Amino acid sequence: MSGLSRFYGYVGKVLRVNLTTREVRVVGLEEGLVRAYLGGRGLNVVRLYYEVPPSVDPLSPENKLFFGVGPVVGTGFPLGARLNVTAKSPQTGILGDSNVGGHFAPELKYAGFDQVVIEGRSSRPVYLYIHDGAVEVRDADGLWGMRVREAYEAIRREVGDPGVQIAVVGPAAENLVRFSGIFFNRSRPAARTGLGTVMASKGLKAIAVRGDGYVEVAKPELFEELVEEVEFEVYSHEQYWPRRVMGTSRILMAANKIGVLPGKHFTEPEVPYAFEVSGEMLALRYNVKNRACFSCVVPCSRVFVVKRFSECFISEGPEYEALAGMTVRIGNKDLDKALKAIELVNDLGMDVISVSEVLSWAMELYSRGVLSREEVGGLSLDWGDMEVVMELLMDIAYRRGFGDVLADGVVAAAEKLGKGLEIAFHVKRLEMIQADPRGLKGYGLGFAVSSRGADHLRSEPFIELSDDPEVGLRMFGESEATLRLGVRGKGRLVAYYENLCALVDSLGVCKNLAENMDILNYQKVAKLVEAVTGMTLSVAEVEAIGERIVNLERVYDVREGVGREHDVLPERFLREPLKVGASAGHVIELDLMLDEYYRVRGWDVRSGIPTARKLEELGLRDVVEDLRRMGLLPG
Amino acid sequence: MRCSYAPMGLHVVVDLSKCSGCRYCEVWCSFTHEKVFSTSFSRIRVIKDDVIGMDFPIVCQQCVQAVCVSVCPTGALYVGSDGVVRLERMKCVGCGRCLDACPYGAVFKDPVNGFPLICDLCGGRAVCVVKCPTNALSLYPLTEVEVVGVEGLGRRYELALTEFGKLLERWGVRVRVK
Repeated sequence: MSGLSRFYGYVGKVLRVNLTTREVRVVGLEEGLVRAYLGGRGLNVVRLYYEVPPSVDPLSPENKLFFGVGPVVGTGFPLGARLNVTAKSPQTGILGDSNVGGHFAPELKYAGFDQVVIEGRSSRPVYLYIHDGAVEVRDADGLWGMRVREAYEAIRREVGDPGVQIAVVGPAAENLVRFSGIFFNRSRPAARTGLGTVMASKGLKAIAVRGDGYVEVAKPELFEELVEEVEFEVYSHEQYWPRRVMGTSRILMAANKIGVLPGKHFTEPEVPYAFEVSGEMLALRYNVKNRACFSCVVPCSRVFVVKRFSECFISEGPEYEALAGMTVRIGNKDLDKALKAIELVNDLGMDVISVSEVLSWAMELYSRGVLSREEVGGLSLDWGDMEVVMELLMDIAYRRGFGDVLADGVVAAAEKLGKGLEIAFHVKRLEMIQADPRGLKGYGLGFAVSSRGADHLRSEPFIELSDDPEVGLRMFGESEATLRLGVRGKGRLVAYYENLCALVDSLGVCKNLAENMDILNYQKVAKLVEAVTGMTLSVAEVEAIGERIVNLERVYDVREGVGREHDVLPERFLREPLKVGASAGHVIELDLMLDEYYRVRGWDVRSGIPTARKLEELGLRDVVEDLRRMGLLPG
Repeated sequence: MRCSYAPMGLHVVVDLSKCSGCRYCEVWCSFTHEKVFSTSFSRIRVIKDDVIGMDFPIVCQQCVQAVCVSVCPTGALYVGSDGVVRLERMKCVGCGRCLDACPYGAVFKDPVNGFPLICDLCGGRAVCVVKCPTNALSLYPLTEVEVVGVEGLGRRYELALTEFGKLLERWGVRVRVK
């Protein structure tokens, strides 16, 4: 090959598209930012921090949408295919950030860019076709209103290439449903925090990418050696086959066993029908083949076929969050109907986690007689009534009747109705995932402090499921740290994995390789960065990059008004002990864990705001000045 | 019936039920041949459809009588001493006849210089096969069988032969109708 990339691992270019003026700019990737933030999530958040100030309305043209790809993406590194999407969230008003696999991220790099920034708002619906270093703004009048699959197929036909990778938003996003996602080649969403809503608010229906470019690594021999090491560790890992057979759908049975399922809106931590709606059942009766993200050696996605006479279809998935959300959380025991509902949620373009919360929240209120039939638009919102659920899903996406009440999220719905706020399960207005924090205390702490609201993928302290005190003692100097019902050492545990999450999201690698399978640790990340980019960083320097990103995200949220008083969990988890199952008798001792967490982080324990000392240590001097100017700097 | 063997005795066999569509073969093929990671410089390509979950790898089938070689108007493509199809770049005019002629669609175009990209089995250690995470690709001895005297046996016989031929191909036997 002739010619060298300016940076190994990177393309070295950022694409900026202003949809208001139709101005397109291609700018060089700044070396300083790469050294401090690597790419992906880190590169996105630093631009968001400086380019989208606190006063901006998330649905206004002033908000910006960032698509960032890390240096590892597009190389042959296993599980290195992740794309990070960032904007100010219309769902929470704080950091909006979501990460997605598939084949879009490498294609974007082959098309010539490490990052795409969408600015402004188009007066007519448009879509972007990015290919080989150039971009076309194309008319999308005919695509507006289409569901996810239909839009994907239409654009694929228009581009005329089966290899094109397409990010689309569905009708829910067009109707500004606050929890709408961006869907990549139909079945892979960046769903959390309402980024699809931001995209649609800009008049942008889709982004298609295709390119003949390439990525070079700095040290090919070292890289090949590292890849072989990782391959070996993956293939010999105890989670390899369960992941290949079931993906994350295997978690449903595991969560049932330890009593942390969100059954009937977190009132049934274990259910007798778990097997009937499990990943095991999918593997036995539904799955036909595996699929993988780009360059992945653990193909954990599954193609399945539903063969019930009245509703036959073929699709891909589901992952645990969708599966538990459309089964146990809403009291549904019918797997066929759950799969159909998940398909509809995706096709309408919504976040299935948030959907499962607004549905189960309304069902609980209805079952207790707090909400009357009139208040829910004449629907009989009984647990597990999937006919009503299908109807309500359409009503949410098109903002009709009671659906319109739910379409702004669970907190907004409680505010509109003037009831149910105490059982609205969210953190910072982001609806909670499918795990009961009373039986997973590290996860619970992670939900409370997460920079995007109630979500496990900011920390993913998977290791606490090992329930092995030796591990905790070795890694964190505290045996309770890796006991799921332990309390001490959780601050250290969560901070450690938050930094690692930020790091792998910035490199573009899947968390399954880092947090879950525990193969990609800080030592290997340092080696990987050297092999791909040529930058030689110590393990401590690599850790500092993760820590810097977490701190910057925190300050971004602080600037939007977040403090310790927002790092909370819903009352039910703090006060009502679980009644049955393997975690019975437990609440979550959040305050104790929070104190430790802030201390470990070097943040002010009273306010939960990073101290000047910590921020300066991480090289964030401007940020200290910003906080000082706003009167938010502690001490 | 007449049997003959593929030049190297080998070809890449695909088990469609195992292919996950990860394209690990593509990036490592590109790296092995061109020292860069890409999907546009590889000699193997996975054709995908995310609506029905299709992942279909396309790679040279090591024809005994290589059509790509026989249609090459300048003699740029030839069968090397190791038995695989090779390109003499100086003679190639980039006409693209080999791309159109390949019955498997397994000749690709280098997006930079327009030269054809054809699998060379990496000298016998095909990297796509070595790297395939699910063993969907394997190296298999190839035998071609020529069947004669089947014309006029009817449309149903032809249909059956085509389908049965696909099954035989998975076992390393290719049917050629003379």
